[in-house]
Amino acid sequence: MRNINGETFEIRLEEDNSAVIFKGALRLNGMEDYAPILELLKETLIHPVASIVLDLRELDFLNSSGITMFSRFVIEARDRVGIDLQVLASETVPWHARSLKNLQRLMPALNIRLT
Amino acid sequence: MTSQTLGNYAERAGKCEYLTLAFSPLSAPLRTRWRNNGLSADFLGDYVTTFLPTKGSVAAAESRQKEIRHAVTYIANELLENAMKYHERDVDIPIGIHLELTSDRITVSVSNGISLGQAQRYKTFVERLLEGDAGDLLLRQQEESARCNESATSCLGLLTVISDYDAQLGWRFDVHPAQSEVMTVTTSAVLPLKDAPGASA
Repeated sequence: MRNINGETFEIRLEEDNSAVIFKGALRLNGMEDYAPILELLKETLIHPVASIVLDLRELDFLNSSGITMFSRFVIEARDRVGIDLQVLASETVPWHARSLKNLQRLMPALNIRLT
Repeated sequence: MTSQTLGNYAERAGKCEYLTLAFSPLSAPLRTRWRNNGLSADFLGDYVTTFLPTKGSVAAAESRQKEIRHAVTYIANELLENAMKYHERDVDIPIGIHLELTSDRITVSVSNGISLGQAQRYKTFVERLLEGDAGDLLLRQQEESARCNESATSCLGLLTVISDYDAQLGWRFDVHPAQSEVMTVTTSAVLPLKDAPGASA
């Protein structure tokens, strides 16, 4: 298990690299500051499990640089063969319904589960 | 010409609820003050909910308030991040954010100082943005950004404000009265209140 924590957020990569769980608010300054988190995400693609999960249900806020980070990860997952990527989202978090559809436009096979 | 507007620039409405904050740009480096963008944006989002009508069921009103609070916070955060990033250093022009609430819309506008060269680059981007569909442009920029890193990410936030929040953006460029090599750019974002009294469905 690996963590990246900041003043307003917690990110955890599961032991078997099957899931990355995000909590809090992410408003880092540009792609340079998001690079360690993108690297953490990419670890799930090294020896991918059957289904990779991004759990965003408790990620209450994400700025546009964060959206760019997720879009880069999704593009990378899309461009590899046989990656099954699932996003767990919440109807009670306003940005999920508004912005996650853009990730699906980048990767039509992306499975977004809104609960 | 001392002033130019592009897009749907929202002039101040006059008599309405408003709030203005101004930040001195010289006191601390960007990295140190970055967290203040989020604090200020959260404050604006919370502040505006005081003035939203609470009609219908409690649950519906709460849900609508949450949506609007989030939209104001997101938009204010994006505009402030851009203003802080692109503000011309060594120029004593404050970075300002202004919030207005009328019966049918919320306007967030942010101003900062920029060099003439930066103003020209920004105008070129805005003209490209106004010609196309923001959602399509956003996708293209995200693909480009995945291929060639940082260069393509600039102003991507503005595209999300249009495509994900249905905000109408406008820009005003003013030549600084005392320093002709500097301009003040003001970006306005109008968020229509869809179920406001008198608003069209």
